[in-house]
Amino acid sequence: MRDLTVRLDALDPEAGAALRVIAYFDDLVAHGAGLPAIVRGASILAACPAALVDPARHVRVRIGVGGVAGAPGPRDPGWPWTAVGPDGELWLERDDEPRPIDAMVLERAAAAIGSVDRRARGRAAHGRADADARILLDPASSAPARSAAAQRLHLSPTVQVRAVATASGMRIEPAGDPVPAAGRAGIGPAGSPDELPGSAAAARLALRLTADGPPADPGPQVVHARDVGGLLVLASAIGPETAKHADVVELEQLAGEHPWLLATLTAVAEQSSLRAAAGVLHVHHSTLQERIAHAERMLGWSIGDPAGRFRLNLALALRRLHRTAADTDLPADGY
Amino acid sequence: MTLTAEPSTVALVSTTPVGPPPPFDPELAPALRIIKELMPPVNADTLPVMRAGVPGMEPADNQTLARGGEFLVEERVVPGPAGAPDISLLICRPASASIPTPAIYHTHGGGMVLGDNRTGIEDQLNLAQSIGAAVVSVEYRLAPEAPHPAPVEDCYAGLVWTAEHADELNIDPDRIVIAGASAGGGLAAAVTLLARDRGGPVLFGQMLLCPMLDDRNDTPSAVQMAGLGVWTQADNTFGWDALLGAARGTDDVSPYAAPARVTDLSGLPPAFIDVGSAETFRDEDVTSASRIWQAGGRAELHVWPGGFHGFDVMAPDAAVSQDARNARQVWLRRLFAV
Repeated sequence: MRDLTVRLDALDPEAGAALRVIAYFDDLVAHGAGLPAIVRGASILAACPAALVDPARHVRVRIGVGGVAGAPGPRDPGWPWTAVGPDGELWLERDDEPRPIDAMVLERAAAAIGSVDRRARGRAAHGRADADARILLDPASSAPARSAAAQRLHLSPTVQVRAVATASGMRIEPAGDPVPAAGRAGIGPAGSPDELPGSAAAARLALRLTADGPPADPGPQVVHARDVGGLLVLASAIGPETAKHADVVELEQLAGEHPWLLATLTAVAEQSSLRAAAGVLHVHHSTLQERIAHAERMLGWSIGDPAGRFRLNLALALRRLHRTAADTDLPADGY
Repeated sequence: MTLTAEPSTVALVSTTPVGPPPPFDPELAPALRIIKELMPPVNADTLPVMRAGVPGMEPADNQTLARGGEFLVEERVVPGPAGAPDISLLICRPASASIPTPAIYHTHGGGMVLGDNRTGIEDQLNLAQSIGAAVVSVEYRLAPEAPHPAPVEDCYAGLVWTAEHADELNIDPDRIVIAGASAGGGLAAAVTLLARDRGGPVLFGQMLLCPMLDDRNDTPSAVQMAGLGVWTQADNTFGWDALLGAARGTDDVSPYAAPARVTDLSGLPPAFIDVGSAETFRDEDVTSASRIWQAGGRAELHVWPGGFHGFDVMAPDAAVSQDARNARQVWLRRLFAV
């Protein structure tokens, strides 16, 4: 082993340094680093002392020369700094010329500190947390493994959590958290950590009922398993291998020939009135009525009466389910 | 210069089932990413480049080592083993000592194939300064050009000379601790055995930092960490092959080459052993401490969780690195009762 002191400040200060800063804090967060370790990371990367004062979280730490932790003094107005949370401050005690990398170090460190906040609230970071999340989501996990994983993620046996399936993986989040705005998501029912495997199974099925969104793939981007009832049973039975019903075949064929058709039928199926559907589609009420009449002629059945609406909803749901496999295995991606 | 070390054909398989590698410490993980970018694997192809040194990380000069007059620094050429070339000792003595001082006799690391007597010297000076001791660091011949027993005999010869010239160096010959990291830790353990068996200098303690002890290179940790961290099982194979050639892993390996082979652990000075939980050497080092206790000896063992090989040197600011350095200092102070 060579005496190989890591001197980050001596490394390429240009493009490479930015990537290094990003990777450094990503690694810290992925391995579950605490707040002093993140402040120390800022100090190492900036090659000067760094400090975090955050009254809301009762944190006051300064990392000085050699990575030694101590109590921070007052912040010099000339030092580069950034806000952390409502009244926290993170700064670099840069007495010489400011360096281009300072702002990025502060920004990434502040983001990393923010992720520690989330973990403290019960959401775990990546890395170890991935493995723990996987244990909790897996119905085959033993009770002791499940209990230990829940403890590491700071999930008490009574806390309400749910599984959320997305295109990138399965995660665990506190019940009631707002659903992310972007991308498809299947939301499992809320329950105790012990009930997560069931929540995950339902979330996986719910994800298969989602759509990418208009114009190419109209339909709901987010589906709550608790809201779709028996469609979950359908979802568990229908996949790409299942033979398509004539309604689905016809729907897909017509959709290919008439670009407006899917969006129109989806809006009619989802909205409570034709007026509301016209609003969603940004077309005039009379235009919509003409399109519906056109669609009914092509399909050969009415979509205005309750039975026809049900048949339409079913055909649209089946169309989505035929696209993805019923046993799609999603990787756990933590939280 | 040609460098040859026959690649091993021995299958390296542990019979103990192992789980996934223990996770790296949160602060060490980002440092490791950078270290892996800077450090190639150690093999015959990369050895010349690694010996040439990493630009910007040149060994410290005498003026730096003097630390503003704290130490008197000199390089002394002294006799090597019988019939072998002279060796060079880097001697750093406390400048203001009035009475003879303790000494740390340092055998540097580098996998038996790399490094010189300034490798790791700064950490040794820090330790020495904390207890008012001198540091004597030996320049030994490296494998594969100089296979076993050249490195360990050079180290032993330097220790004998140091003890015999203690007066001249203002060193208390009864209070010499031998210390080394990695291959230097293995050499320190081996020199301790030689000193005992030859009736040589009586050492006051042995400080073995993540020591390289076992040429068999097949412990669960070696297998578990294969390809991961620093000084992987493959690097270790290269180092031992360089030192021992075809004898590596056979019954012909001397404990003076691979101290894990020792059967008699009696009569040894107190040992300090540290190692990371996420490195090749974890299990051979833990086993070594256990065997000392089982033989009725004195040892202090620290296994730093999530530490890769040499983490304290390569990521010195990390909290776990600070704690690891501190533990060494605390042990020395307790040992010398200062």
